Amino acid sequence: MSATVAISVSHLDVRFGDSHVVHDVSFNVGTGESYGIVGESGSGKSTVLRVLAGLNRKWSGDIDILGKRQEKTRNKAFFRNVQMVFQDPYGSLHPKKTVDAALAEPLAIHGIADAERKIGKAIFDVGLPSSFRYRFPHQLSGGQRQRVAIARALVLEPAILLLDEPTSALDVSIQAEVLNLLQALRRERNLTYILVSHDLAVVGHMCERLMVMQLGKAVEEMTASTLSAHAPATSYSQQLLVASAGFRRESA
Amino acid sequence: MLTRSEITPPLLEVENLRVNFHTATGIVQAVRGLSFTLGRERLGIVGESGSGKSMTGRAILDLIPPPGEILASKLIFRGQDLQTMDKAARRKLRGRHISMVMQDPKFSLNPVVTVGEQIAEGYRVHHKANRREAKDCSLTMLEAVQIREPARVYDLYPHEVSGGMGQRVMIAMMLIAEPDILIADEPTSALDVTVQLQVLKILDDLVTRRGMGLIFISHDLRLVTSFCDRVIVMYGGKAMETLPAAELVNPASLESRHPYTRGLLACLPSIEHRRAELATISRDPAWLS
Repeated sequence: MSATVAISVSHLDVRFGDSHVVHDVSFNVGTGESYGIVGESGSGKSTVLRVLAGLNRKWSGDIDILGKRQEKTRNKAFFRNVQMVFQDPYGSLHPKKTVDAALAEPLAIHGIADAERKIGKAIFDVGLPSSFRYRFPHQLSGGQRQRVAIARALVLEPAILLLDEPTSALDVSIQAEVLNLLQALRRERNLTYILVSHDLAVVGHMCERLMVMQLGKAVEEMTASTLSAHAPATSYSQQLLVASAGFRRESA
Repeated sequence: MLTRSEITPPLLEVENLRVNFHTATGIVQAVRGLSFTLGRERLGIVGESGSGKSMTGRAILDLIPPPGEILASKLIFRGQDLQTMDKAARRKLRGRHISMVMQDPKFSLNPVVTVGEQIAEGYRVHHKANRREAKDCSLTMLEAVQIREPARVYDLYPHEVSGGMGQRVMIAMMLIAEPDILIADEPTSALDVTVQLQVLKILDDLVTRRGMGLIFISHDLRLVTSFCDRVIVMYGGKAMETLPAAELVNPASLESRHPYTRGLLACLPSIEHRRAELATISRDPAWLS
């Protein structure tokens, strides 16, 4: 873990009406670190990420991001530093806006000059040909759309990227390409990632440390080497590991 | 040792299956000459999006919408030629003898009808039965797919059940007619790993107990390897190779496999072996010639 802390969450609690979806979750993420949150549907992993991104304003606890205590509503400077990539590349791009328009919007909001060059560079950085700039989302494949979503997040040159299941809607071969891209971008720019996924193998590949969540509670925090050695401390993490190994016939 | 599929005649024989779409910009060949036989076994079809794996499943059921056309030199289900059969006879077969489980329960169930009624409908279409019998049979079926309180779940609407439960409901609906062949198109892709295993276990039990033939369509080669007896690896509408699943587990025999098959396995991140970078697949146009 790096020396400085980029994100610090302590005693985070989230309730939606009567249901208590996140119970007392605490963790720290160092600058340049990649941190994973794993769990099944309904474990609260995406909710934690949405709270961090400022998309969910009903929570209690303390959140510090880049050394600043966070309020419920975030300001523009926050979004310049923290960007999110969503799960479904089909749903997260405006169907009537070209790639160029999608990337120009965050720059216009933040009043950043030199948009022309920055958009071109962002498209190049995610490995798309420059001819894709004036295409619409329906003219792109799932993997290409997810690259556009990553480009849109990166065009503001944020320090932190929140990734919510960035590859679960993609084919395994395309998943490999997108994961490689994310790894390379992190190395080049010293980005801090929080990656939420239900896929232990993806998190194990991408992250140095990870947290397992179940029913809104943090079950266990471990390093990726603990995971690859199949040595998690709790039985729930063990169960998830076994399930990830694929199908086994009991009678066989 | 002889497997059952070698002793009994195959359930389904497919030879040189082609699916073409006539579009304004020319003919798109979704499936290009696929041949296989299916016995009472678990057959996996693996490939990326656009490899023609789903189209193969749909072609068997005659569910390709126009402008698509299905061509085959042989398409035989238990001795009956599917191609010469008229539409009505084909419809009788569909659902009753060959049926299909779709990928996403959210989009494949009728949102305004309770799940129980949808299962019962499946039964009444294929069997002469009154409502009471159909309901009893549906409840039994819900139990068979391991839903804990079948009577309660029977009256729920699709939006009130979880993804895993919805998938089990769809499996119950397809199996209530006791088909000979079940085509499962990515039945577990939308599910959590633990729920995924439960659904696979149900499918596995049904194949072993009822002697059903299962075609399991997926993009996850590792999962298919752990579940199926044989695997067809498809790319661009063609079968790259057909091989026993056991060979994919054995690293020694993997060396001699098709480069695409090896690519599909290598691009998966592995929990045990961390790598700096994942392998990507290099595709060779010569594979399609």
